[in-house]
Amino acid sequence: MPVFKLCLKIFLHNWISVSIYIVIFLAISIALATNGTSELSNGYSQKKAKVAFISEEKTPLTEAFRHELSRSAQFVNLPDRTEELQDALFFRQVTYILRIPKGFTDSVLNGGSAQMKKTVVPGSIQNAYVDINVDQYWNLARLYAKHEPGISQEELAERLQENLSGETPVQIKAHQSAKTSGSFSLYYFNYFAYALSAVLIMGISTIMIVFNKQDLSRRHRCSPLSAGSVNAQLIMANLLFAAIAWVILIAFDFLLDTGSYSTQNIIYFLINSLVFTGCMTSMSYLIGTLMKNLEAMSAVCNVITLGPCFISGVFVPQEFLNDTVLKLASFTPTYWYVQANAHIAKLTQFGWSDLSSIIYSMTVVIAFAVAFAALSLVIGKRKRLMD
Amino acid sequence: MFAHVFRYRFKCLIRDKQLVFWTLLFPILLATFFYLAFMNLNDDETFHPIDAAVVVSGHNQYDAPFKSALNSVSKGKKRLFNMKAASNQEEAAEWLKQGKIDGYYTSGKTIKLTVKESGFNQSIMTTFADQYRSSNSAVMQIASDHPEALQNGLLNDVGNRQNYVKEISGGSAEPNNILNYFYSLIAMACLYGSFWGMKEVSDIQANITDRAARVNMAPVHKLKAFIAGSSAALVILYTEILILLTYLRLGLNISFGPRTGYVLLTALVGSVLGLSFGAFISALIKKGGGLKVAILMVVTMVGSFLSGMMFLDMKYIIAEYLPPLVWLNPVNLLTDAFYALYYYDSLNRYALNVGAMLLFIVLFSAATYLIVRRRKYASL
Repeated sequence: MPVFKLCLKIFLHNWISVSIYIVIFLAISIALATNGTSELSNGYSQKKAKVAFISEEKTPLTEAFRHELSRSAQFVNLPDRTEELQDALFFRQVTYILRIPKGFTDSVLNGGSAQMKKTVVPGSIQNAYVDINVDQYWNLARLYAKHEPGISQEELAERLQENLSGETPVQIKAHQSAKTSGSFSLYYFNYFAYALSAVLIMGISTIMIVFNKQDLSRRHRCSPLSAGSVNAQLIMANLLFAAIAWVILIAFDFLLDTGSYSTQNIIYFLINSLVFTGCMTSMSYLIGTLMKNLEAMSAVCNVITLGPCFISGVFVPQEFLNDTVLKLASFTPTYWYVQANAHIAKLTQFGWSDLSSIIYSMTVVIAFAVAFAALSLVIGKRKRLMD
Repeated sequence: MFAHVFRYRFKCLIRDKQLVFWTLLFPILLATFFYLAFMNLNDDETFHPIDAAVVVSGHNQYDAPFKSALNSVSKGKKRLFNMKAASNQEEAAEWLKQGKIDGYYTSGKTIKLTVKESGFNQSIMTTFADQYRSSNSAVMQIASDHPEALQNGLLNDVGNRQNYVKEISGGSAEPNNILNYFYSLIAMACLYGSFWGMKEVSDIQANITDRAARVNMAPVHKLKAFIAGSSAALVILYTEILILLTYLRLGLNISFGPRTGYVLLTALVGSVLGLSFGAFISALIKKGGGLKVAILMVVTMVGSFLSGMMFLDMKYIIAEYLPPLVWLNPVNLLTDAFYALYYYDSLNRYALNVGAMLLFIVLFSAATYLIVRRRKYASL
């Protein structure tokens, strides 16, 4: 099988550029997937907002207030310098900067109208949350000061602590959630779309461009190999390459996420990624048929891999994307792959009705694969006839 | 002679379609992808009234005050809740399951809350119930200590809530963190300009390209030819960056703050920085076109990563834990200059960034000059 052997030689020749992609991908996806993975918790827990607490006066009441606020806020220590506070707010290290001015406590206790100052991410949810807690504390303080004149700050702080203690009973009605929802594997399989398409387009198109060189293809045609045999060997070599890339990338998921691979979900992740690999192989084949030189290919490769990944929810989850963007994205196989992954991650039951949406997505990806393959065969044939 | 060399270098450079793609079209495409992907990214930190429901207990002495408290925060523009009344537990549970509400209260002697996950919306709901309970217990406490308070309008005062915090803005600009992605993208585009610089230096060294051999034959001073060529490259790169800036500002509505003149100046400094960096690497590394490209790529991409182009928090993390790297990473200097222009009222940090970039430019140019000058070729 001379064609097949030649392909392998070209692959081995290019292994460095391909492995660079794999290394970069692993570094990025491990960093991001670890970052995105959410802890699954069974009980209910009160959220805490990130607050920078700056007090220009220290009274028993402000101290007690700080203590009370810590139930709903996580205090971040920041130096009181404008630019550093601004930086922290921009990068969301804090979402609420609270400043108590001098004389605030006295003003509240005497029914004055002094206000604390806050700098926040405008309109944010954490802003609303902290506001309720802050206002409640000082409103009660005002109430006591007005109706129990002569109460000392210490007594007042004690009363408030008593009134504010206790918790609202919260019942959590969680529906059974799958082990894989929000897991490392979900993120990993999503980023997989990027790495795999980059590696496949690089590898497979390189081969196709070599074979499509005019002299080489003419030489092939006068050899005693039938066109069918040449094509079959080419396709076999490409499939082998795709399979190896798939195995390497998948192997790392098993190494990195030991929690998921005992679940049934992982089987569907694997099937889905395999279907996607098939689709990308046939797309790379098409690109290889269309492209003429290697330099232009690297441009095309970057645009074709990055573009769909951005708009289909690989880098940014689909729930954050605009509807129009998603409509646009649904014209790419990546969208359907990511969608299937999202469904798979949430599976707790594996009946026909649970699986149907996943199967639908996979069918769309397969349809893309068939369309790409058909298109590249037609174009290839046309090119040969024109030659 | 200068004009002649300039014109021909310009023609020669602009015909390099590949370079034009990477330095102009690629950043524009990437910016478009960023825009499509990130425009809703901050939506989940924005507060929207929470969809909630209440199930009454049937005991009016508990239900009525709680319902009226709920109603008071479910009205108007600044409301907390979009309140629905459920006729029974089952109906509310069904709404919760379908995701129509984030949680529901069950009124009674103690108010209970039912949710399906822990989030900020649920925490706000809990806090509201806490607030109701603590207000009640404060009123009881005061009434038992000072029964006359009830005549003095205690109940009125409870309902009459005051705001104790006032919002003041930290600076003139909003902390819109998405912008940093675009700033680092411009920085990346400037640094991609290093490919033009690399090409310039390769085309002046007769042992590297044929074109350089031809140029060296001509009776033009090498420095003059080099400066003419570099000016052509700079004109091209700066135009490209301006096109990118225009697209970002007018096409994608990315804000750069009010100081347009400084923004244009930053873009110019960034372009010169990119060119001189490429020239320096190209002069430093004697052979291996592939290696030069690889180094330029790696420095640009790693630099972009460290200034938050792929992962926003990276920029803050580096500034926090590895401060020297902030000043050594040219991509970060450029990103930070745009950031400082947009976000800070004072120009101190901006000036520091531009100063550091100028230092880099002087360093790169001097080194390039010292390496490339006076090189003679006995034979080629």
